[in-house]
Amino acid sequence: MAASTGSSVIVESTAAQYAPLIILLPMLAFPVILLFGKLYNGEKFWKQTLKEGGLIALPVMGASLLLALWLISDFIGAYGGVQKLSDWTWFTSSIWESGVATKEVSFGFGIHVDHITVLLLFVASFLCLLINTFAIGYMNTDPINDNRNHRFYAEFVLFCSGMLGMVLADSFLWLFIFWELMGLCSYLLIGFYYERPSAAYAAKKAFLTTRVGDVFLMVGLAMMWYLFGSLDYDVVFDKYEIKSVAESNASMLAWSLGLMFIGAVGKSAQFPLHVWLPDAMEGPTPVSALIHAATMVNAGLYLVARMFPFFGAEALHGELADLAFIIAAIGGTTAVMAAAIAFVQNDLKKVLAYSTMSQLAYIFTGLGAALYLANTLHWHEYLADGTKNPDYYVNHAIVIVAFGAALFHLFNHAMAKGMLFMASGAVIHEVHHAHHHLHHHDHDDGHHDTPKELIMLADYLEANGQTAFDFFASIDLDGSGEIDTYEFQTALKNADVADLPPWEMAPLMKALDLDGNGSINVPELDLTLGRIRNEIDEGHHDEFDAQSMENMGGLASKMPLTATAMLVGSLSIMGFPLIGGFWSKEGIIANTWRVALDDPRFMYPALCVLLGAGMTGFYMSRMWLKTFAGSPKGEVAAHVGPTNTWIKTPLFILTFFSLAAILFASMGFTHWAPDIEYGLMSDHGGLWGGFLYEMGHVFANEKAFFFILTYVALFFGAIVGPGMALSLYGGALDEGEEVKPWFTPVLAINAAIKGRYHWDNSSFAQSGFATALSNRLYFDHYYDMAMLKIVAAFSFKSAEADSKVIDGTIKTIERTSQQLSTKLRALTTGSARDYILMAAVGTLALFALIWGVIA
Amino acid sequence: METMQPFGDGFVTALAPELVLVIGMFTLMIVPNLGDAKFRIPLTQIRIPWFFGGKRGTLDSDPRLPGIFASMFFVIAFLLAALSYMNGMNVTMIETESGYDLLLVNEFSRIFELIFYGALALASIASINRIPATSRKDRSALGLYNNRRQVDFYILLMTTGLGMSIVALAQDLFLLFIGLELASFSTYVLVSFMKETKEGTEAGMKYFIVGSVASGVGLYGLSLLYLWSGSLQFTELTLAFAENGMEPLPLIALGMLLVGFGFKVSAAPFHFAAPDAYAGATSPVAGVLATASKAMGIIGLLRILLVVASPEATDGAAVWLIALAVLSAVTMTWGNLAALGSTNPKRMLAYSSVAHAGYMLAAITAIGALNWEPEHLNASNDAALAVVTALIFHLVVLVCFKLGAFLVLSILESEKGGHTLASLDGLAKREPFLAATMFIFMMSLAGVPPLSGFVSKLLVIMGIVKVALVDVTVNGDLTFSDIHWVWYLALLMVINSAISVFYYLRVGLVMFFHEPEEGREGPLPAGRSVRMAIVACLLTTLYFGVGAGQLISLCEVAANALVGAW
Repeated sequence: MAASTGSSVIVESTAAQYAPLIILLPMLAFPVILLFGKLYNGEKFWKQTLKEGGLIALPVMGASLLLALWLISDFIGAYGGVQKLSDWTWFTSSIWESGVATKEVSFGFGIHVDHITVLLLFVASFLCLLINTFAIGYMNTDPINDNRNHRFYAEFVLFCSGMLGMVLADSFLWLFIFWELMGLCSYLLIGFYYERPSAAYAAKKAFLTTRVGDVFLMVGLAMMWYLFGSLDYDVVFDKYEIKSVAESNASMLAWSLGLMFIGAVGKSAQFPLHVWLPDAMEGPTPVSALIHAATMVNAGLYLVARMFPFFGAEALHGELADLAFIIAAIGGTTAVMAAAIAFVQNDLKKVLAYSTMSQLAYIFTGLGAALYLANTLHWHEYLADGTKNPDYYVNHAIVIVAFGAALFHLFNHAMAKGMLFMASGAVIHEVHHAHHHLHHHDHDDGHHDTPKELIMLADYLEANGQTAFDFFASIDLDGSGEIDTYEFQTALKNADVADLPPWEMAPLMKALDLDGNGSINVPELDLTLGRIRNEIDEGHHDEFDAQSMENMGGLASKMPLTATAMLVGSLSIMGFPLIGGFWSKEGIIANTWRVALDDPRFMYPALCVLLGAGMTGFYMSRMWLKTFAGSPKGEVAAHVGPTNTWIKTPLFILTFFSLAAILFASMGFTHWAPDIEYGLMSDHGGLWGGFLYEMGHVFANEKAFFFILTYVALFFGAIVGPGMALSLYGGALDEGEEVKPWFTPVLAINAAIKGRYHWDNSSFAQSGFATALSNRLYFDHYYDMAMLKIVAAFSFKSAEADSKVIDGTIKTIERTSQQLSTKLRALTTGSARDYILMAAVGTLALFALIWGVIA
Repeated sequence: METMQPFGDGFVTALAPELVLVIGMFTLMIVPNLGDAKFRIPLTQIRIPWFFGGKRGTLDSDPRLPGIFASMFFVIAFLLAALSYMNGMNVTMIETESGYDLLLVNEFSRIFELIFYGALALASIASINRIPATSRKDRSALGLYNNRRQVDFYILLMTTGLGMSIVALAQDLFLLFIGLELASFSTYVLVSFMKETKEGTEAGMKYFIVGSVASGVGLYGLSLLYLWSGSLQFTELTLAFAENGMEPLPLIALGMLLVGFGFKVSAAPFHFAAPDAYAGATSPVAGVLATASKAMGIIGLLRILLVVASPEATDGAAVWLIALAVLSAVTMTWGNLAALGSTNPKRMLAYSSVAHAGYMLAAITAIGALNWEPEHLNASNDAALAVVTALIFHLVVLVCFKLGAFLVLSILESEKGGHTLASLDGLAKREPFLAATMFIFMMSLAGVPPLSGFVSKLLVIMGIVKVALVDVTVNGDLTFSDIHWVWYLALLMVINSAISVFYYLRVGLVMFFHEPEEGREGPLPAGRSVRMAIVACLLTTLYFGVGAGQLISLCEVAANALVGAW
């Protein structure tokens, strides 16, 4: 672990010189897209050719990815001795510390690259690019987003630059700045459909909930600043700095890290700050994929992983074990809780949201275990007293592999979850499309052209129980049987519907005047208002939910690529043998249990992750089966078609990456990720050797305990959980549906198990526990209540205090200053005489002051 | 250090920028008068071509020529000064035959020359649009006016520049005063230059009257000093103050000099004529008053106060300390409060410039608070360096954003606006780029990171705090009683900055959220050169903010030239 050596090497690397561009390019694209969007909104070139900014964002993200890959390859080439690659100083200045003469501090920004950076940098830049591609296929084809996609792409690139900046930053201060930038973008993107109250609410909720964590993070950082006098990684990770702090103030450091961890809990949606994540699904699907699966929630994990040098420091040996336990326990709790809630969710994206929460919890547990091991084992080459450590090789490997397992799961989960969200987006997009196609085709035009005043008029008549005839009689002032523009205008005004100037009446008259004679008679009014009434009613009854799995089923034959991607992603998340997350999840479970053997407290998270494995197997299988297997539920699902290329490409690429986890595992990724000096493919004789080693390590562990553990975990995760789902949901597709060959066994097993073992779960579904689960265990309820009882009451009081005391004071100050200002300016009479008089007064005052000193 | 006598070897290289200005002045006088005049030798019919007068050529008498020429000469002078600064300074002392120091060319004087020439070049370029010359055929009243006064205007700008550089170079209080008066007299005329307006004439008159009273008081102080020590050389004055600085005579003289320079930097209560002058003058001239002229006053103050406060004259240090602290506190508060209610943007900027003078006075006050006992010497030297660096940095960047703001107003003046806040209404709709630029200038004035205004304020505050903590540094123990009270000036500066945000933001408010006044819709009057100058101001405002490090190191070198010798 290079960081704990504390030496920072500034390496002249060409890639590093360009590294700031990774952040700057998207950041500069933000104003560009926003500005062009404002200027060219609705124009054909902007809309068709540039995809409302999507094709400005795409090359920018591509360039960021290329630069990131360049940096990563440079870094790997340098074998990890590299820490700080480039440094840009804004300006330097001296500061004082009591006792010490002076010390230079620089205000600036640096790029810090180590193994964790490399991992996250790849994940973030790669997924940002893919999700950008997906978004072009998803956002631009939905008419509801028309002419406002530039806002999406602008906020999207700003968000990406926040994530990339956070990963590359060289100090906790910049980490925090970019962290908040992401928080802001997350707020904006979740509230993209701000006209929907639910989206506005969700955005606020996400922002405020994560802010709770951020306050703690800020306090933690302030404490760290107090301890180290700096937040730069070079300083705070320096072995000697840590040592001196450990000797004087170890408990304060533990508190500081603990408070920072609360920030991570908020950002990564862990218990008890998890309530925002499911609601955040109100944002468009690319946002869910990007923020709530692939990148932003990883920020919390990144922060905790960044703390590793403290836990790993010999000087703090054993001091931080409690904190490591807390991290693991929070993770374990969330893993089980979120999995349980996911059991009863019917909204496709919500299942994925809870699954995200649960999987992040796994990583937290894994990190907790790894940090515990790092803190309690002597794993450095030399002990604190400078003697050689006899257990160096054994302990080093244990710590590194434990940390690596957590990081590897982060990688696998990000790939799989990004893909799952995009696949779910594809499904939702096509279901929505099919629904639209079926139900709205006939009167697509007309409804949209109805002037809103007429809709309001129809509402007004409905509310007052008036018919068109009553209304007509009341407004036909001259009794001619025809109403003209003036009469209609007056009527609208009297009905409080609208007060329009005569020239804006033309479209209304045109909509009503069916025979085109310039005035309206009774039948015309009646017909038109009746049509509008019908449209409104239909609109009210149109509550089709394109995200509900109750409206899907049997889509495997209609969306083969999406179904494949979803299948691979689900298997990866479940930890199905040899696919994706399996390689890392087994590691997390094994390491948690390893700690549990040592410290009985860890039995709790260890049992949680084991139980969670089975639960994951159930809810992920349930989701796939309900969506893709069985007969289509309803007319809409039967008419779903395949999706477009923009959407398919990222799915295809990510499917490959999820399947390729086996390659990464064979390369020794778990060793490499935390310890870059290790070198890929070096230990076990190349790829094949590595593969054999990993297989043997997992399936035939020589330690009996881990051997059994593996199979227990596999039994729960790959047999019990999916088995229950297979017996309850899905089933064979309808007759005559063609499927890809690889679905055939899945569907056959599904049909067989469901046919033989299907059981009635309605008693459970109606039980109080299921109700509690579908109400998210009442967390939101109690939080709301607490808010209402305590916070709201307090807010009202403080609002009152604010308006009276604070505003009052400010107003008074303002008024006084303005009065003073007027008085002062009145002294500037405009007459030179007075000016000279004042100058004379000033001169005398100066004399008096100087005189006062010497006298 | 090289010493030489006037017109000795290397004199031309050392004073190249000043000589360029002199040449420029003569060029401007001669070129427009060239014609086909012939001189007839009396009693003969022999006519010798004389070229001066007569029927003028079309090219050399083009009214547009002086503006272009003057701008060119200022730019050349600026570049020459910059080149000599960049290529390693050749520090040169120019002295009389008897070894009496006259002018010192070093990093300190050069950086101030850069400030002066930079500001004057920008003002000169902008004035090409503000006082537009038309073709000679233009017979409208304003056209005639403008065409005829082109040369006068630019020559006055050049004499201003010349006077200012003498102030920067002078090693002798008397010479400094001559330079100051040369520049001042030129600016009095420049302020009243728009004689067709009532405000211009009146403002110039008032500025002149109050200014001459202040100069008179200063000159009186000067003569008392001479009476007392028999020399006006800075080096000798320092020695004299070190010996017996506590006598009444030099202290009265010091107070009088403070009045003289106080007027130049527009410190309260000597600032009264400033708002009137700024409002009456054309905006580019007002911009010069607020930046270059202020820098000139600061040099005067620095010179005279450091003479008294230098380590050799330790005892005298505290003499002016309280006076200047009060002056600074009153000035910054007065300026900000008065600006709060001001609805004329030019007066607002004038008051803001008063407030900025207060900040700079606070920095100078801090130098007076330094303790020159042997064990404090190193820390004090460091702190003095930091403060002077901050001061110079502040004066440099002031040229970027304060002058820039005046130049934006100058475009508005071309359409008879700029005197009311309402004339800025809806600028964002009329010319988004200009509004954004103005907003950036305002933000920089308010001190918003990462703009240069923020860095300059930060440096000044940090410098003052550094001075206040010198005792703490030396004693190695943080006790509150060790912190010098000048710390409160830094605090007052922070509070004042907070107040100032209000009126700076108000400009943004009217530009972006108000609808344009009636009759002011549509784009602003054209003017390519003034827009170029504004862009230059914008770029430097941004660059010196983001890339502050480079400018700071330049300023450090200059500050070192002034106080490093201690």
